[in-house]
Amino acid sequence: MATRAQPGPFRPAGSAGAEALATGGAASAGGPGRPGPLQDETLGVASVPSQWRGVQGIRRETMVDTGMSWRLLKNMDVWLPAVLATLKSCQTASIATAEASVQTRKHADAEVQTEVPAPVGARTVAQHDSPRLAAFLRRVEAMVIRELNKNWQSHAFDGFEVNWTEQQPTVTCLHTLGYPPAQGQGLHVTSVSWNTTGSVVACAYGRLDDGDWSTLKSFVCAWNLDRRGLNPQQPSAVVEVPSAVMCLAFHPTQPSHVAGGLYSGEVLVWDVSHPEDPLLWRTGLTDDTHTDPVYQVLWLPEPRHSHRFQVLSVATDGKVLLWQGGGAGQLQLTEGFALVVQQLPRNTKLKKPPRGETEVGATAVAFSGFDPSLFVLGTEGGFPLKCSLAAEEAALTRMPSSVPLRAPARFTFSPHGGPIYSVSCSPFHRNLFLSAGTDGHIHLYSMLQAQPLASLQLSHKYLFAVRWSPVRPLVFAAASGEGDVQLFDLRKSSQKPTVSIKQTQDDSPVYCLEFNRQQTQLLAAGDAKGTVKVWQLSTEFTEQGPREAEDLEQLAAEVAT
Amino acid sequence: MQAEVEETLKRIQSHKGVMGTMVVNAEGIPIRTTLDNSTTVQYAGLLHQLTMKAKSTVRDIDPQNDLTFLRIRSKKHEIMVAPDKEYLLIVIQNPCE
Repeated sequence: MATRAQPGPFRPAGSAGAEALATGGAASAGGPGRPGPLQDETLGVASVPSQWRGVQGIRRETMVDTGMSWRLLKNMDVWLPAVLATLKSCQTASIATAEASVQTRKHADAEVQTEVPAPVGARTVAQHDSPRLAAFLRRVEAMVIRELNKNWQSHAFDGFEVNWTEQQPTVTCLHTLGYPPAQGQGLHVTSVSWNTTGSVVACAYGRLDDGDWSTLKSFVCAWNLDRRGLNPQQPSAVVEVPSAVMCLAFHPTQPSHVAGGLYSGEVLVWDVSHPEDPLLWRTGLTDDTHTDPVYQVLWLPEPRHSHRFQVLSVATDGKVLLWQGGGAGQLQLTEGFALVVQQLPRNTKLKKPPRGETEVGATAVAFSGFDPSLFVLGTEGGFPLKCSLAAEEAALTRMPSSVPLRAPARFTFSPHGGPIYSVSCSPFHRNLFLSAGTDGHIHLYSMLQAQPLASLQLSHKYLFAVRWSPVRPLVFAAASGEGDVQLFDLRKSSQKPTVSIKQTQDDSPVYCLEFNRQQTQLLAAGDAKGTVKVWQLSTEFTEQGPREAEDLEQLAAEVAT
Repeated sequence: MQAEVEETLKRIQSHKGVMGTMVVNAEGIPIRTTLDNSTTVQYAGLLHQLTMKAKSTVRDIDPQNDLTFLRIRSKKHEIMVAPDKEYLLIVIQNPCE
């Protein structure tokens, strides 16, 4: 065996030889029997796998320079022992390798889910030390009671408020949005809606004054306010609709689905993210469809699958219908209610309806956030009705329907002086709701009594919309026929509005308004000129004061006994 | 012993304006509470950390000093923490003004 032959005298193995050996050793340690490439310059012409019993079991390739081999072999007995000694001394440690394969032979399925930690205390945890706990409580009780007492009587923090956010002192108009083709036709904004993420506002065009608008072509427009380069005159999505749209509601979880009710009585659901083919579902004109304009649509969670939603529509034909999106783009009727004069609860004396009229037209609906089956209907007769989805009694109506219609009314409230245009249930108190009507008054009702708790005259003309603020328990906004949006703060004054925002210059009415639940300082309002204005409210309307919930409670408790 | 603990907690809980009472051990695990699970766990974890921070703040400023009581006043209510070597007593009160 010859290692790399060096011309000239044999160099001491300590230097180059050892390196070469070490490299060779390391390089070929890639696996048993696998020769590694030599990194230093190779002289070799031929490579001969070494058959010499390798030192410590590692085979190595050795290179033989044929030109030198004769001379080397001749003197082998001189240099061979020295080389062998070197090999032994600078050999890398053996690398033992072994192969093994691993495979599970048994397996079991298990599901993992985090769980709320088991209830503790008042509810005891076994391992704590009762005597030490008792001693601790004995030590601290007196001090805690003293502090509690002091706190109760303290006036130290009266009127002390901290401002954490930048104060916005006034109400400003952020955007003025409009769609010129619709405005050119003299269309009104009949309804606005914010989507679930709070970044898109959609408006429905139609007409709210008297007349036959059944053949009027109209539009549903949506603007994405978070998009850069927002052009107020160019909506990010426009849907053409063959009939005037009376109401609009965005889906509670799908950011681009929106339901609308038409003057013709149909209910349609669009997807505004697909401008070429936005229509998802429609009711069509079947026996089940409303025969009068649909004044309000809402999305409701399905009773058993709370992540899926149904559409509820109310119309002046007296029907309240629940629709489910079915196959082939058809909205199927799942449940229906009909309001009939004879079946109204008689707890309040109402004016006798004209002869022959048995239906009670519904113009507005609001669901209570606290009880999912309870809802309030506003009617053409001016009286709100407390209704329940769980009502069983069949409605005495001869209107054809594929689903049996039930009578939902449970309680009749004392009426306004004219039809109601809007109702809104308080998100902070289970018993309070507001209604606004053509008599220019706002009534604050408690579910517990027929007479309103308060009646405020806001306008000498009609009031078209009223909405509670989603963040301030005592604040609500109303849209008036005199062209302004009035914001009421019941904490400051219950007689006159805190802020009155002039939306239209020529006193044409404001027809609709909606608070943005995600960006709570925004309020959108649509008017008869076809513009939607997005108002930014001052901080006082968006930050809850220290005692508001209690004040609201107090207000609700003023129920006459 | 058990009864004494319950009596004391009941006395504190029935005080004017008290919304909730809980006892937390040195690791931040609630061992007695009058509120629901999720609220309790939240309060216990957060207030335990805050109390430790407050204690170390006081001791860093003056090593001879130590934390005796912690009160947090917020818009809606006041949280009081009585700290100890082994336990924390947390009381949430809604002071009437």
